[in-house]
Amino acid sequence: MPLIGQSIPRCDAEGKVTGDTKFGGDFYEPGMLFARMLRSEHASADILGIDTAEAESQEGVVGVYTARDMEGTNRHGLIIRDQTVLAETRVRYMGDAVAIVLAENEHIAEEALKLIRVNYRPHKPITTIDEALADGARHIHPKGNVMVEKRIRKGDAKGALRNECDVVVQETFNTQTVDHAFLDLEAGCAEYDGKLLTIRASGQWVHEERRLIALALGVPVERVRIIQPATGGAFGGREDISIQICLGMCALKNPGRGIYMHYSRAESMSARHKRHAIRCRYTLGAKSSHATGPYRVPNVEVDVYGVHTNNNPTGAMRGFGAAQMAIAYEGIIDQLAGKLGMDRVELRLKNLIRSGECVTTRQVIPNATPIDCLHAALARFARIDHSVLNPESGIRESLSAWRLRNYETQAAHLRRGYGVSAICFGLGYGDNFPDTSRARVCFNSQAGLEVYSGAVECGQGVINIIAQIAAEEMGMPIGCVRVTVADTLLTPESGSSSATRQTYFTGTAVKMACAELREQLFDIAGAYFGVHPFEVVIEDGILYNKNDRSQKMSVGEVFALGLRRGHKLEATGIFKPPTQPENHETGLSQLAFITYLFGAHIAQVLVDTETGEVSVERYIACHDVGKAINPQQIEGQIQGGVAQGIGMAVMEEVIFSDHGKLLNTGFTDYIIPTIRDLPQIEVVIYEGNDASGPYGAHGVGEPPLIGTTPAMVGAISDALGIPITRTPATPERIWRVIQQAGTLRQRP
Amino acid sequence: MDNHGQTWHLDFTLNDEHRQLEIDPHITLLELLRMKLGLTGTKGACLEGECGSCTVLVDGRPMNSCLILAAQMQGREVTTIEGLAKGANLHPLQRKFIEHGAVQCGYCTPGLIMAAKDILDHNAQCTGEEFLRALEGNLCRCTGYNKILSAVRDAWRETQTE
Repeated sequence: MPLIGQSIPRCDAEGKVTGDTKFGGDFYEPGMLFARMLRSEHASADILGIDTAEAESQEGVVGVYTARDMEGTNRHGLIIRDQTVLAETRVRYMGDAVAIVLAENEHIAEEALKLIRVNYRPHKPITTIDEALADGARHIHPKGNVMVEKRIRKGDAKGALRNECDVVVQETFNTQTVDHAFLDLEAGCAEYDGKLLTIRASGQWVHEERRLIALALGVPVERVRIIQPATGGAFGGREDISIQICLGMCALKNPGRGIYMHYSRAESMSARHKRHAIRCRYTLGAKSSHATGPYRVPNVEVDVYGVHTNNNPTGAMRGFGAAQMAIAYEGIIDQLAGKLGMDRVELRLKNLIRSGECVTTRQVIPNATPIDCLHAALARFARIDHSVLNPESGIRESLSAWRLRNYETQAAHLRRGYGVSAICFGLGYGDNFPDTSRARVCFNSQAGLEVYSGAVECGQGVINIIAQIAAEEMGMPIGCVRVTVADTLLTPESGSSSATRQTYFTGTAVKMACAELREQLFDIAGAYFGVHPFEVVIEDGILYNKNDRSQKMSVGEVFALGLRRGHKLEATGIFKPPTQPENHETGLSQLAFITYLFGAHIAQVLVDTETGEVSVERYIACHDVGKAINPQQIEGQIQGGVAQGIGMAVMEEVIFSDHGKLLNTGFTDYIIPTIRDLPQIEVVIYEGNDASGPYGAHGVGEPPLIGTTPAMVGAISDALGIPITRTPATPERIWRVIQQAGTLRQRP
Repeated sequence: MDNHGQTWHLDFTLNDEHRQLEIDPHITLLELLRMKLGLTGTKGACLEGECGSCTVLVDGRPMNSCLILAAQMQGREVTTIEGLAKGANLHPLQRKFIEHGAVQCGYCTPGLIMAAKDILDHNAQCTGEEFLRALEGNLCRCTGYNKILSAVRDAWRETQTE
């Protein structure tokens, strides 16, 4: 039975259901020292002095450390290394770390924090985009408050709007700050034995974390070992470094002592980066019969600015920057459909890109499948099995079900609405950023296959994907495969678990390594059988002479024979596909990403116009996943992404005060979906023809979330007949939108 | 908390084993389990009774161990995730969570399984509503709950027909 395409239960699940699996916080042992951080109480202030003497004098306090004690760069940052680990002369957000207390127990550490005297000179914090860009605004970083500027220029957008478009729609969209809200709080331990600094804490890219830790602490990178424990969710929230450098600093200063550290939920919320809030001004013009992202737009002009504020730092979160833009481009497409008097689905079917066409940045997409995904989602909407669909009559049937969708509700104050979205997502880092996965394979003494990869397992299931690919490629039972991931001493670098890249990148590297190791087995077995290696096959761990199957050997026998004959029997796979940088002036690139992923969603909601509450009646998500290596895991990823997207659409928002104070620091007031908030999420797995990944597999981590928020917002807008342009559409906001509108238009 | 050297004699049953311990009277049950007894299968994620990660059974009913003091367990029976499997035999909930793909990162899993055990033990009649009521106090950020719900339903069906 082929292993690819099988929903093989997760090999790490048993430890997780019995409680045996150790997460970062589970490594505490009696005798370890506790580290706690002092965090800024101002969002913007100069530090004039820090007096740690009283804290240091407390019984049980082992050390109090500030930036002065840091022997390296004291910097971190995923792309620009401009964040201080411990503040030097200023603090930039309420939650910036200022000092560390290390003590014999947590209580002593906590009390000692209160005895550190920081002399601050506070400034009025900058908490909005407009304040950051205002003339004379205080510079948060030396180069000013515009952190990044990007532009796209394709064709002549201004000219086309002026001269060619019959219809123009304009809208401003505002999205909120969102927290990852993974359950497994930042926690871990460290120890320095005089030679090696070992840190156990959860990140998303152990090798990059090792580099950052070594630079920040001023130790050679070879003297740092990072071991990723089991990780309770990441979603981009562990891409920026958290406790690792502070753990390392405490360990280096106290050789031989175990150091333990964990955040509370409030500290995790206050300290960690968030999903960017954006404001997007959008103008879209179209000819009366025609209408970015997955759409064909010949003339494009985009200007993007990222600005510094004194709110929490922002960074990666599932669909890094993409989830926000999807709300805007789908919202504006819906408005265009309204203005053209066209059905929203038909407008999309007409304008979504097709194979051989190019995305906005002019990269030609050989296998563009958003239309196929939308067809399959519509078929599910009509409750037709899309796999038996006749392409012509089937889509007519689905479309007529869509046109006849039911708006009737049980009561007048309940309104039903339907939303649609399409997804187009570049896999991997793209833009010429070095993007490499490696894998090493060898045999253990029992002739089991050992696979080593630096990939981080943060809950998404990469361990199973690696095991299934390795077993399939080697022709061995999956029970004989053992996967070791994310330990900088044992595993080769495989890039980050982000950008939806691990299945595609590390999956390919594992496949390459196993293909090479299998050839080595064939050489040995071929010589023993007296045939050419091409005539050897392997099935279920047994090698055969394919012309005389009575000649056979187990992998174990071939391995033993190979060792006796001096074969090394190990192999490495390196997958490093190039991409091309964007043109600085135009933002265009022929190969911005190695491949693109497509999908389409349909949401059906019921809005209570008296309370503003939204319930999701139906949710359909279709994604082109290439080949589904493990369909159950794909479903899980899609359902989880949709859940987070529904949260982003209707409830989740990090709220800052005018002083830059994060106001909702716990799950009591930062609300994420419970089991009652979510419907059965109907997953349609579409397997397209892009064969570039391992066995044709893509990745599926981010696209589901990206499609969800716009589909939900579109559904709410449809229910009310009023475009929603600000997320989240909380009950209060919806209620206010209704009040502002006065009366809702009658349903046809 | 500073306990001024006072301790509390705790006499209770933990995972079917009678235990007598001298404890700091201020610590929560969660702290006792995780930090003193090394039973780290029970998790903590919010420490304010919102997420259910710390759910254990006290006299057979689910409770948030982050919100109760260890001292309150005097004379009571506590079951944690570590006490669920009988040797190598997984509890039906544990098996069904694996089979249905209800485990992703797994951090919410022990709490969810303990919360779900209540419904298996105490509900002979179960409509959809009972399942939702049993699980609504537990947050999961990875799965969207669909596979968790099907795992719990399936485990319930299996135990009812036994």
